[in-house]
Amino acid sequence: MEEKRKRNQPSDIQSAHEEWQQSYQKQMGKQQVIRNRSGLEVDPLYSPADSNNIFFNERLGFPGQYPFTRGIYPTMHRGRTWSQRQLIGLGTPDDYNERVMKLLDSGTSAISLLPCNSTFRGLDCDEIQEVLLGTCGTIINTIDHMETCLAGVPIEEISTAMNDPLPFTLLAFLLGVARRRGIPWERITGTSNQSDYISHFVANHMFFRLSLTGSRRMLLDHIAFCREKVPNWNPVSVVGQHMQQAGATPAETMGFTLSTAIQYAEDCLVRGMDIDSVLTRFTFFFDISISFFEEVAQFRAGRRIWARIARERLGALDPRSWRFKFHGQTSGVDLTRQQPLNNIARVTTQAIVGILSGLQSMHTDAYDEAISCPTEEAARIAVNTQNILREEAHLCDVIDPLGGSYYIESLTDQMEVEINSVIEKIDAAGGMFKAVESGLVQAMIGESALSFQRQIESGDQKLVGVNCYQLDEDQEVEPAPYRPNPDAVKALAESFKEYKAARSKSTVQRAIDNLARAANSENDNLFEQVVTAAEKGVTHGEIVACLRRELGEGKPIIKA
Amino acid sequence: MHESEVQMESPPRVLITKIGLDGHDRGSRIVAAYLRDAGMEVIYTPPWQTIDAVVGISRQEDIDIIGLSSLATDHLIIPELMTTLTNEGLDAVRVVVGGIIPQNEIQKLLDSGVSKVFGPGTLREEIIDNVKSLALSAQKLKRQKWEEA
Amino acid sequence: MDAMKQQKSISEKLFAKLQAGDVSALSYAIRAIENSEFESAEIYNRIKADIGRTAVIGFTGPPGVGKSTLINAYIDCIRSADQRVAVVAIDPSSPISGGAILGDRLRMATHIDDPGVFIRSVSNRGHLGGLCAAISGIINLIDVAGWDVILLETVGAGQSDTDLTDIADIKVVIQAPGLGDDIQAIKAGILEIADVFVVNKADMPLADRAMRQLQAMIDLRDDKNNRVPIVKTVATEGVGVDLLKAEIDLRSQKWKVVDRQARVKKRMHRLFAREVGRLMERKLASMNQSEFSQVYEKLILGDLKLNLLVERMVEELQEILGD
Repeated sequence: MEEKRKRNQPSDIQSAHEEWQQSYQKQMGKQQVIRNRSGLEVDPLYSPADSNNIFFNERLGFPGQYPFTRGIYPTMHRGRTWSQRQLIGLGTPDDYNERVMKLLDSGTSAISLLPCNSTFRGLDCDEIQEVLLGTCGTIINTIDHMETCLAGVPIEEISTAMNDPLPFTLLAFLLGVARRRGIPWERITGTSNQSDYISHFVANHMFFRLSLTGSRRMLLDHIAFCREKVPNWNPVSVVGQHMQQAGATPAETMGFTLSTAIQYAEDCLVRGMDIDSVLTRFTFFFDISISFFEEVAQFRAGRRIWARIARERLGALDPRSWRFKFHGQTSGVDLTRQQPLNNIARVTTQAIVGILSGLQSMHTDAYDEAISCPTEEAARIAVNTQNILREEAHLCDVIDPLGGSYYIESLTDQMEVEINSVIEKIDAAGGMFKAVESGLVQAMIGESALSFQRQIESGDQKLVGVNCYQLDEDQEVEPAPYRPNPDAVKALAESFKEYKAARSKSTVQRAIDNLARAANSENDNLFEQVVTAAEKGVTHGEIVACLRRELGEGKPIIKA
Repeated sequence: MHESEVQMESPPRVLITKIGLDGHDRGSRIVAAYLRDAGMEVIYTPPWQTIDAVVGISRQEDIDIIGLSSLATDHLIIPELMTTLTNEGLDAVRVVVGGIIPQNEIQKLLDSGVSKVFGPGTLREEIIDNVKSLALSAQKLKRQKWEEA
Repeated sequence: MDAMKQQKSISEKLFAKLQAGDVSALSYAIRAIENSEFESAEIYNRIKADIGRTAVIGFTGPPGVGKSTLINAYIDCIRSADQRVAVVAIDPSSPISGGAILGDRLRMATHIDDPGVFIRSVSNRGHLGGLCAAISGIINLIDVAGWDVILLETVGAGQSDTDLTDIADIKVVIQAPGLGDDIQAIKAGILEIADVFVVNKADMPLADRAMRQLQAMIDLRDDKNNRVPIVKTVATEGVGVDLLKAEIDLRSQKWKVVDRQARVKKRMHRLFAREVGRLMERKLASMNQSEFSQVYEKLILGDLKLNLLVERMVEELQEILGD
């Protein structure tokens, strides 16, 4: 650092800088090194000496211009604000519908559907203990359930994100509902938010259902189907969220996620798809942690690196392919159960980070998210947080306002180096698919998680209410957790049984057989069969069970 | 512990697992590492184990303590696990739960036979001390069971 | 602390349940043997009439060959033949704390609900040699409890798996193509210990070449009487596993044809030196160091030669046996 400073500065600035350094040193005495989550050292001050103005256009440029460090569009939030895309998921389809209609009234421009954990696991509501249903997401097992969820929702105008992993039965149900309403599939917009099967295997969350190789096939078929039949849908969302939540540092998260994107792009190329038609429909999904400047630098570096990868490594020619589009969700891992109202301050901070990072859409967590599915009031506060930041703090007025900050530009460059070294490691392991198969990525994440935990234990990393500023537990009155109405759940389970019984057995069996046949044939599009099966009344659990049988069940790859 | 050490204390055998639907296991892995570093033998499974599987593993592995992690709502089926353990003759096995349990639902767990519920922010030493002492009592119960003629 | 004094008898209740095949009893007894809570000689006396029925099959090979996948597929095969199988899965302990994370059974998760499969995770507690110190005791217990087959997978990469050589009746050595281990197989001495070779991932392009190399190595061995077969498998698909079982059963049959006691005898032959060494180590550790300090001094000075000392001891032993 010292050498760089001496090199770059004109002499009057130089001497003022040295003067500051001496006063600082004198007052501070011996100092401890401060590092951010990615392990990079954080200096007390950044100055003209730290800025790398030489290759301005190459490294920074202007918004909407390669390499997009300052933003992927020329206008960014000033032209069009980020989409507020709040996750909703609770109880029965009726509960979902009630919540989503209220949210549409309060200014949400896009919706996101979170299914019940049982659905994530590939189970129908009659296959699991009733007490577990609908507590963390909406129970959706059939096309009729989806119909109920979206009653009165103009799906041809509103963008809908589906949060289920492959085989994407939720999208299949959505398309079925669109057909019933006479809406052409070209009008359906949204994203398969959790299509990134690699991230699910890495972070071992509730998400994976099919084997790694089966998932690979399924995703490619999904991409191929959507390109042709649902052209305004984003079939690929490359997810950094799970890895960061599992403990990966921001640099690792971005490195792994970009490596995954490379893997999917290459898989598509092998399939014979044209790279631009594929990349223009790639989006990314990240957690936004509270490590303020590090996160902003991570995303700016991410944009720069992706642009280069898309153009130079993958050979994309369309500038839209070089754009790093991402949805951000404020990180639930930073929230605490102790003194939950503090989480409002945390989410606000994270939301600011997201906006300053230049995201395209955002979900803000509710303050009670650590304890249960959000209450209406908490969900409303979460949305208003975004509204306040936009309308009162005017965070949309200036594009990339942190750009040019000596700190941010220096940190962006440093993060770029870190992220690239992670990508190199993955390349050396043969690409992301192989790296995950071998457990390399999981091991790296586990180490970072343990390291962070040690910092919390030792008190180096302070968490308000947890290891400092604590309150006696008794003093706090916790809001009662959300639980769906047990009678409503029971009624749903009953009506589900009736639904199944009322179907034509032969139609259902034929649809399942077709699905199985397609799974064993390389020439069929598997997702197309899922959509067909859904329309014929096959349930979510039946579809997943069939595919598990044919393609293999997903198993965690754990090296303990 | 060198293999030639003559009287080996019986290191606690702990099963770290998750039942129900949620798969977030970052906390489980960290606790597993803590317990190993404290000299214990940890059998670690991925999440989504059925209750029957947990009981079967506990039997085969001579488990002293089952450490369950619950962050969402899977704690709601823990009473079912406790009943099954008793019915299967494994009531010597102690069960502890870590994670996020709503305040008003903790007592129900304790009433069902869970020995301890650790909230977020519980210090490592507290977990280790509790697991050690519960393991000792589990081992004692098993010894009594098997060594009475 | 003298372990010998602390040891106790195995209770009637426990023993009866063990013989009856009760899983809880077996599970408890294994723990006790690991912790040296029972006097192993005493246990042995009680069970010696019942052991020798179980075949002990060891699997070894370099990391990455697919041992776990193969063992899983092999378990399926055994179960289809209606036999009961036990697996002892050994993981290394932390050299610092002595604790261990035992994650091997994760990879055998499909057999969780099968009452005919017993999986036990064991920490090696610092023991070098590939298995664990108490392995013979554990095997005997599983034998008494009435299991047909015991599968062992070693911790190491093959070279240091001396335990397996002695303890397993049948050793399966697994290779996979393209791992760059062709030379390693020769260096490791693995050729000598194998009763059956497996080339896993046989669907890979270099599989045939790996097979030919192995075959050439085997042909170099003088032992024309003991044909060592090479079985090609694709463990992930279960391909070739039937053949593997057939080859293993063929060799296992040889024991059954003679008698159970012959198997025990052969095992004892292999294990004698090892067990003597282990007990000696424990005995010495439990004794007052000063008792032997004279001996150590003499050894250091060269006044006493260790090899001669051992020869004396063996002569004494032969005398005792002669009585």
